[in-house]
Amino acid sequence: MALLQIQEPGGKPAKVLHRLAVGIDLGTSNSLVSALCGTGVETLPDAEDRHLLPSVVQYLSQGQPLVGYEALPGLVDDPENTIASVKRLLGKNLSELKNLKQLLPFKFDGQADESSPAIATVSGSKDPIDISAEILAVLKQRAEDCLKGELEGAVITVPAYFNDAQRQQTKDSAQLAGLKVLRLLNEPTAAAVAYGLDSREQGNVCVFDLGGGTFDVSLLSLQKGVFEVLATGGDTNLGGNDFDHALAQWVKQQSGNNEELDASERARLNQLAVDCKHQLSEQQEVEISWKGWASTISNSDLAGICEDLIKRTINTCRRVLRDASLTTSDIDNIVLVGGSTRMPVIREAVADFFGKQPLTDIDPDKVVAIGAGIQADVLVGNKSASDFLLLDVNPLSLGIETMGDLVEKIIPRNTTIPVARAQEFTTFKDGQTAMTLHVVQGERELVTDCRSLARFELRGIPPMVAGAAKIRVSFQVDADGLLSVSAEELSTGKKAEIQVKPSFGLKADFVEEMLQSSHEHAHQDMELRSVKEAQLEATQLLDAVANARAADGDILSEQEWQQIDGAIATLQKEMNDSSANRIRELTEELNRCSGDFAAKRMDLHIGQALKGESIDEVVENSP
Amino acid sequence: MSYDVDIASLTEKYRDMQVAAHPDRVAAESEEVKMRAVQFSSFINEAYDSLKDPLKRLAYILSLNGLDVEKVSQSDLGMDLLMEQMQLRESLEELPKDESAIEDLESIKKDVQEKQKQRLDDISASLGEQDFESAKKLYHEMQFLYKLLAEIEAGEEARLGY
Repeated sequence: MALLQIQEPGGKPAKVLHRLAVGIDLGTSNSLVSALCGTGVETLPDAEDRHLLPSVVQYLSQGQPLVGYEALPGLVDDPENTIASVKRLLGKNLSELKNLKQLLPFKFDGQADESSPAIATVSGSKDPIDISAEILAVLKQRAEDCLKGELEGAVITVPAYFNDAQRQQTKDSAQLAGLKVLRLLNEPTAAAVAYGLDSREQGNVCVFDLGGGTFDVSLLSLQKGVFEVLATGGDTNLGGNDFDHALAQWVKQQSGNNEELDASERARLNQLAVDCKHQLSEQQEVEISWKGWASTISNSDLAGICEDLIKRTINTCRRVLRDASLTTSDIDNIVLVGGSTRMPVIREAVADFFGKQPLTDIDPDKVVAIGAGIQADVLVGNKSASDFLLLDVNPLSLGIETMGDLVEKIIPRNTTIPVARAQEFTTFKDGQTAMTLHVVQGERELVTDCRSLARFELRGIPPMVAGAAKIRVSFQVDADGLLSVSAEELSTGKKAEIQVKPSFGLKADFVEEMLQSSHEHAHQDMELRSVKEAQLEATQLLDAVANARAADGDILSEQEWQQIDGAIATLQKEMNDSSANRIRELTEELNRCSGDFAAKRMDLHIGQALKGESIDEVVENSP
Repeated sequence: MSYDVDIASLTEKYRDMQVAAHPDRVAAESEEVKMRAVQFSSFINEAYDSLKDPLKRLAYILSLNGLDVEKVSQSDLGMDLLMEQMQLRESLEELPKDESAIEDLESIKKDVQEKQKQRLDDISASLGEQDFESAKKLYHEMQFLYKLLAEIEAGEEARLGY
C-alpha cells in the first residue's frame, strides 16, 4: 500500500491510504497495464517508454522466458518455442486447437489431457494458463516498479463473448501470476467507461471491438453515470489475425507458389501480410512482393479479399441491434476499439451500416486498459472521483440438458447480471438419491450443439417415490459472469451436496461460432426440437401399449389386434425420419386404434377390483 | 394495479435502485455485505426484467391473482385463436424460400404487429375490469404472436443471408 503523506498546515503529517490497483488489457496481440497516476488513469510504459507489450512468449532452454518485444524475433527464428496469440488457445481442447485455421507451429504435448492441451517447449510442457501468466507477470512487475508499491488487485478484461471456460482460465492465469482478480471486465464495457467518463456524452453507444483474435459488439446506454449494457455479441474466433491470414493466402495464390511452406517461411509470409495491412492504413495503394512476384494492392482489393470477414462483423452488429430492440438510427455514437479498427475497410463498412461516421479520436489500443484501470480503482475500495456504475450482461444463454438431448434455457443471453434463476426438478426412479445436471452454454436447441459447461452431481436426495422429490436448483451468475449452483430438496429442506465437474471439451468438429450458427439453423433447430418431442411422445405411447398388452393382451381377439399392430408398425417405421407433424399424426392414429382396448382394460380392472369387495372397501383402498 | 407502465420512469427507478444496491458499490466491504448485495441486485434485475416486457408483466400480474400461465387449459385457447394461428402459420409456410418473399413477410409482420397492439389494449381493458380469465386468454394469444414475430424475423434474416 502506498502512503501519501499530506502535510497539514503547521501540523503533523497525516497519512492517507490509497490502495494500489491496476487495469490489465490482456490482448491477443498486445497487452497493457494502467493505473491511477495523479489525476487520471494512464497506461504504464516500460523502461524504453513503450506502453504496449506484445503478447508473445519465447521459451528458452535455460533461464526465464522472453516476453514482449524481445520475443518477437523468435516467431521467425524459433517458431516451436515462441507463442503468439495465446489468448486464442484459452478454454479450448486439443481437437479444437487442431482445427484452428491458422496452422499452429507448435508441438503439442502428447502426455497432456485432451481437455487441457499443452505445448511441448524446450523448457518443458506449457499450457495456455502458464503462457498467459508469463505476460501478466511482466505487467505486474512493470506496475509495481512504476507505482513503487505492492499491488492489491487488478481488473482484467476479457472479450464480452468469452465463455465460462475461457473466463475461468483467464482468472487462473492471473492467480498464477500472483495477481488478485478484482473483476473480469468485458472489453467493450471497459472501453465504454473510458469513453463515457471522458466525453460525458449520454445516449446509446455501440462499441465495435475488433482485436487481434476476437471480435465483440456491445450496445450500451449511458445515462447519468450508469452504463447499462443492452446487448452484446461477437465471435471469439474472428480478429485481425484472420485478415492477415486471408491476405497471406491471397499473396501466396497470386504469386503462383504452390509448394508447402515450413514454419519459418509461413511466419515470414504472415509478417509480410501484417506489414502490408498496416501500410494500407496510411496509403490507398501499397506495393507488395514475395518470392519473385510483385504487384500493388489497394484498400478496395483488401475489401474484396476480406469480404466474408467484414460481412461477419456487420451481421453481428445486426443481431445485437435486434437483441436490444434497436435500429441503427437509435445509436448516437460508435466507438472503435482494437488495433484492427484502424483498417479503412473496417471504418468504411461500419460507417456504411450505421449511417454515421464512427468516433476515431479515441486511442483504440489503450481505451480498454484505461477503462479497466478506472474500474479497478473503484473495486479495490478507493473513493473514486467518478461516480459511475456498470451494469453488464451474460453473453451466452445458460441451459440444462433435459430428456432427449434437448436444452432447457434457464438464463437467456443478454440478461443483466448479477442474476439468479431457479428451476425445479424431480426424480425419475423410486428411491433415487442422486442426480446429474448437465449445464450448457449456447443458443442451439440440442445439447450436442452447445458448449458443455459443467456437470453438477447432486447427492443426498432423500429417497422417495419417483416424481415425489421437489428439487429446486438455483443458478447464480455473479458480476464476473461466472456460474455457481446450489440445490435444495423442498419437502425436507435438505440442501444437496454439489460437485462441479467443469468440462471444457466439445466434440472435435465444433469450430463454428455459436451464435452465428444458431441463427443459420434457427429453423432447422425448431423443427428438430419439434421432431424430438414428437418422437418422445410416440415412444411413450408405444411402451404403454406394449406393457398393457403384456398384462391384458388376451382381452382382444387376433383380428382386433391386427388393426392396432398395423398402426404400431407404421409408427415405428416412420418415426425416425418423418416430420414432427407426421409423427404426431401416426401417434394419434395408434391412440385412436387402441382406444377400445384401453376401455376394455379399465372395465376388467374395475370388475376385478369390485369382486368380493364392498363399495366402502374399494373407496378405502383407492389411491 | 394498472397494466400500463411508463418505461422511461421505470428504467430511471431501476437505475437508481441499482446504484444503491449493486455489489460494485460495496467492493471494499466484508464478504457478507457483498453477498447480500449480489442477492439484492439479482432481485432488482429480475423485477425490472419482469416489468419491462408487456408479456412478462402480464404473467406476473396474473400470478398475483392466482393464475399460472404455465398451465394452459382448454378454455384458454378459443376456436378463433386456433383458426387465426393456423391461417398465419399457413401463409408463412406458403411463401417462397428466397428473397422474393421479403415483401410479403414484411406485410405479414405489420399485420402481426397490429394484432399485438390491439391485444395490448384489450389486456389493459380486461385488467382494468379485474377480468383475469380474459387477460389469461389474451396472454396465450400474445405469446403466439411473439413467437410468430420471431419466426418471421428469422425467416427474413435467413433469406437475406445474414
